[in-house]
Amino acid sequence: MPSLDYSRAAELTDKLEHSLVDSLGEDFKTTRRAVLGGVGLAGSAALTGIGRGSDDHGGSGGDSHGNFGAVGEYRDVDFDPHEYLYQFNTGRGEQENVPQRKYKENGRTVREFEFRAVDTTISIAPGIEFPAWAYNGQVPGPTIRAVEGDLIRVKFENLGRHAHTIHPHLRNLNPEMDGIPQNGPGVLNTGESFTYEWIAQPAGSHFYHCHSLPLKEHIHRGLYGAIIIDPDPERVAEQPEEYCNFHRSQITEQLRTELVAEAKSRNHEYQENDAINEMVMVMNGFDTNFDGDNEVYAANTRAFAYGVGQTDGSGNWKAGETKRPIQLDKTKRHRVYLVNAIEFDPINSFHTHSQFFDYYDHGTTLTPTLQTVDTVMQCQAQRGIIELDYSNHDPGLYMFHAHQSEFAELGWMSFFEVV
Amino acid sequence: MSKPNTDGGTTVNRTERPLGLPKWVAALLPILLLGLIAGGFFAATPFASLDTGGEPLPDVTVTHTTLPNDETVVVHVTNNGPNEVTISQVLVAEAYWNFDVQGAGGDNTLAPRESAQVVVPYHWNPGWDLEVALMLSDGSTVHHTIVAPSQSPGLTGDLLLTMAVIGLFVGVIPVALGMLWFPFLQSMSDRWLHAILAFSAGILAFLAIDAGFEAFELGEQVPGAFEGTALVALGIIGALLAVQSVSAWRKGRAAAGDSRAQSGLWIAYLVALGIGLHNLAEGLAIGSSFALGRVSLGAFLVIGFMLHNVTEGPAVVAPVARGERPSIAHFIGLGVLAGAPVILGGWLGSLAFSPTLGAFFLAVGVGAILQVIWELRGMISRNGQAASALNLVTFLVGLVVMYVTDLFVAL
Repeated sequence: MPSLDYSRAAELTDKLEHSLVDSLGEDFKTTRRAVLGGVGLAGSAALTGIGRGSDDHGGSGGDSHGNFGAVGEYRDVDFDPHEYLYQFNTGRGEQENVPQRKYKENGRTVREFEFRAVDTTISIAPGIEFPAWAYNGQVPGPTIRAVEGDLIRVKFENLGRHAHTIHPHLRNLNPEMDGIPQNGPGVLNTGESFTYEWIAQPAGSHFYHCHSLPLKEHIHRGLYGAIIIDPDPERVAEQPEEYCNFHRSQITEQLRTELVAEAKSRNHEYQENDAINEMVMVMNGFDTNFDGDNEVYAANTRAFAYGVGQTDGSGNWKAGETKRPIQLDKTKRHRVYLVNAIEFDPINSFHTHSQFFDYYDHGTTLTPTLQTVDTVMQCQAQRGIIELDYSNHDPGLYMFHAHQSEFAELGWMSFFEVV
Repeated sequence: MSKPNTDGGTTVNRTERPLGLPKWVAALLPILLLGLIAGGFFAATPFASLDTGGEPLPDVTVTHTTLPNDETVVVHVTNNGPNEVTISQVLVAEAYWNFDVQGAGGDNTLAPRESAQVVVPYHWNPGWDLEVALMLSDGSTVHHTIVAPSQSPGLTGDLLLTMAVIGLFVGVIPVALGMLWFPFLQSMSDRWLHAILAFSAGILAFLAIDAGFEAFELGEQVPGAFEGTALVALGIIGALLAVQSVSAWRKGRAAAGDSRAQSGLWIAYLVALGIGLHNLAEGLAIGSSFALGRVSLGAFLVIGFMLHNVTEGPAVVAPVARGERPSIAHFIGLGVLAGAPVILGGWLGSLAFSPTLGAFFLAVGVGAILQVIWELRGMISRNGQAASALNLVTFLVGLVVMYVTDLFVAL
């Protein structure tokens, strides 16, 4: 299980604070004092701040209108959304709670994983426990990553109280491997197991989930995760038209070279991929009182997990122990594999502040399907790839969130900290 | 007179106890045995096989909310359930908001039957409904809508004075005005005086019905742990029996030859007490409507109750219309007893309103009124016939008059 390391979090907090103090320089103290007596900052706190006002406010200033955001820190450290961001399972044993191996079989690369459905309890907001059904005890489930054409073999065992399956959103040629009640092994009852085999195709940012009935509940309880299929540059070189919106006749040598370069940057087995900071974000929500409406929204399960701990709304902020922004190295290119696993709401969205990005719908193309946008919309199970560049931006906090205000205020509200 | 321990001749020696146990042992023995049996049940857990392991659902009631200023919302909550509950997050208008739980021993956890205030710094808009939801640690939510929020007055000398003045105008003055009918009542024949007494019984009957329904309605808002309906029933029956015992005591005194106890003044005081208890509840209604920020409702209540209470004056003084005119001090005493509780109720209502308190006071008022009606019936039937045509008609008129003046309150 990934676990949160408090000392590491404290270190990061310290580092962030120092970089902040450095960036503010000598003005820091006076700014702070001016802020403490300020009256007009309440509005700006509401606009830019999440979390609570700083302690020494004593209820004045920013607190006069109150601040939104979940109160308190996460005490359950079984799952760390920061670790989840970067946790890809390619068969090399990346994640302890996901037994896996990679080997060749009939000339084809096989990536084998062991999945277990279990009933568990997860923290979705500070102090709020949700009775979840989860693959390998985590929500979202483990991220599987393979290269186009590989065989993904998932040995699945159901240890939960209810019957479950795994349904992959892949181009799957064998109906028995579709993971639905009406086909193949059907639903797997408690104690039953089955080995799913899927060819990794097409390249893109994909999704898997349980397809047992009632569907809404089996998905929203936590049985879902991301599958990332990296494009094979050799295949891209041979059939470039499958990775862009051009006919074969329109493919120039230059375009072919560009597509192959992009494919290499997407493929974890190529060195070009190392230069890119890749993250997985599964947008999800939780209906805690079972009324068919979500009380908690998040990217990667935990409300406000990528928020700041405290802020006075004037640039003075602190990372919390468990709630802190995602740090971005401004010299790098950033890629978000975005998956919408929301239930009970038809759409979700992703919006960046002060930044526009390129978007690849479903991630199945190597040329953007949307260019220079700051908001994308995804319906249920839709996903895509977002490519971000903060190299021109000043260091500091840049917000991103669902632009359904309701979702944002109920937890799907986050920050990048550009350093 | 026969002795208690005889059955009319044969002396039975009842002092013999088995094994010569002392008296106090005999008194305690059943309790001791009961304790052993009850303890045995706990120890042996005979119902363990019936336990399906189902967790009882958390049961938290929002009794009421107060808005001390335009940037604070205070939600008053009570844990009704058998288990402790933890308020982990608070949603205001479907957004996570910061909050502070006060009165629960420094944490966010409420023991069974414990009450606390959830203080939320939130800049609300007057008149715009505000939805607050408490999220418990298991994810269940307790929703409460603050309808048309407006600021509730805090505890100030101004407020106390305002409530006293309102109470004076709502309670004391109308009752005093009504009592000015006294000379007119004195000049009446027995027949018509009885009719007037029946009229006041009608007035009281309507008040009892009205307040009774209101008590049960308010009882529904009482946190489940306090058994609102049972509390109201207890209040009604308890007050009825308490006032009845005072009345019976008076009758005993009268039978023993106490002349003062024979006069109508006692009944007048009883009527005043019953109306006073009812008016206490009126005061609570006014005070709490101000406390809950419903100032316009409070103003309506003031006007309505004022009209309403004028008719209570003759009801108070009718019993003393025969015989010697009591001293002016008695009139003042009657007026204050019947009217001044509005002031007390206003203070209680605006400072410490809770549905539990409100329902209980209303119920007590109903019980007292019911007893007074019984008393008036006895008074009429002593010198005439209670169920005469005239009396029945005036009783009905009393009901109708109250109904009509009640419309002003309900407006």
